[in-house]
Amino acid sequence: MDFSGYIRSDGSAGIRNYVLVLPGGLISEKICAFVPGTKTLAIAKSGGGMTSRDREAIARTFFGFGLNPNVAGVIIHNGSPGAGYPELRVERLAAELEKSGKPLEAIDVKIEGGTLETITKGIKLARKMVYEASKLRREPVGIDKLSLGVKCGASDPTSGMAGNPVVGYLFDRIIDAGGTAMFGETTEIIGAENILAARAINEKVAAEILKAVCFIEERALATGEDIRTMNPVPENIAAGISSLEEKSLGAIYKAGHHRIQGVLKYAERPFGPGLYFVDNWMGPNSIFPGYAAAGAQLTIFQYGGGAAARTVLDPSPAVTAPLLWTSANPSTYAVAKESLDFYSGTVIEGIESIEEAGERLLKLIVDIASGTLTHGETVNYCDPIEVYGLDPLF
Amino acid sequence: MAYKRGLMLNLEDNVANALEETLPGDTIQLSLNHEIITIYVEEYIPFGFKVAVKDIHCNTPIIKYGQQIGIANRDIRKGTLVHVHNMTGARGRGDLDKKREGK
Repeated sequence: MDFSGYIRSDGSAGIRNYVLVLPGGLISEKICAFVPGTKTLAIAKSGGGMTSRDREAIARTFFGFGLNPNVAGVIIHNGSPGAGYPELRVERLAAELEKSGKPLEAIDVKIEGGTLETITKGIKLARKMVYEASKLRREPVGIDKLSLGVKCGASDPTSGMAGNPVVGYLFDRIIDAGGTAMFGETTEIIGAENILAARAINEKVAAEILKAVCFIEERALATGEDIRTMNPVPENIAAGISSLEEKSLGAIYKAGHHRIQGVLKYAERPFGPGLYFVDNWMGPNSIFPGYAAAGAQLTIFQYGGGAAARTVLDPSPAVTAPLLWTSANPSTYAVAKESLDFYSGTVIEGIESIEEAGERLLKLIVDIASGTLTHGETVNYCDPIEVYGLDPLF
Repeated sequence: MAYKRGLMLNLEDNVANALEETLPGDTIQLSLNHEIITIYVEEYIPFGFKVAVKDIHCNTPIIKYGQQIGIANRDIRKGTLVHVHNMTGARGRGDLDKKREGK
């Protein structure tokens, strides 16, 4: 099965064709405001007072976005806080980006002489890069080039019964074809970790899954609170989910049936095709950018919404990776038809099987990969991203 | 009499999900692995919520997906609602953490 994508110099295939300006902040925002076809990352914590492993997570996010197949070229500058740390120095980020062979321009604020001068230089470079990127044409490419990342949210009983299993079917099909798929949310595999560990490709990966859960559960215990007062969230409980274990056991259906090839850190690239568990956190503004930085061209939000159906579903916080919204809840479908990309409540209504709905979702994925917009892409807004840090701030 | 629709995911489960709003006096009938399971419903079960398919004793596991999803904290009669009022989770219970006692 083929989609129509942009072939990159590193052999990957983009489903979009953006120029990325890094890192976020005033300079990047102004360059992007002037030049269409550009994107940047708004980020609140930019490295200051953070531990080396958390700064490295930010660095992985920055160069990971640049390496994402949806990005045609990158402009990077050092006019942001945090740029003095070794992990976040422009030279270091540029060295990682150069490996892809993509067009890359680095601007030194000191050489340009200030903020306004850097913006001017950036605009000139961005206009040229966007112009050159527009000469690229989509070509047929196999779905084995696709990498997907999923999160389930506002989970309700329809998530475990239909929504997640349909996404799981899609993951199975993508991986059967030689593609890559990522799922995560470590807190939300508590109670289901042994099932996932049994699906690990080897004992090392199984141990890593259990270790990730142990780390999070120890932290939860240290709070002295019943985790049910934090997660499941009130919307989950109001919709009929009674415990974190129940939520987790429904959540893992989105991972399909394949073996788990590895456990990845936030924004870490998979080391081959197949299914990966990412040790990340559920927040959409954190998890989706993390998947994009790990190379996902497309992200999926499997939304329950039973107790809190939203009429406006958020555009992608993954910036360069479109976000596809799917739900199996009839009430969500009823109120959010304009925003929802896919409805799998047909499985609950007895109209379609999980396989039939999954095939329909696969077709939609191929369409979106070939250029059809997600509904979120018709909105010119993006939340700031939250890189998932593990340590306190100092 | 028209049956209400429900979903049970594993024969070991002691709860099923109501696939439509179900009232006292309704009957849910579902099939799983060619077995027909009938539940006489004794109280209101909202869409998607869980109903006990057998009597569940206090301090015994609630089973869904063939796995433990929590523990009953009172006796639960067959045909009644199973939710946070009569079951608790067993994981991430910082409030019960023995290591914190005396702190």
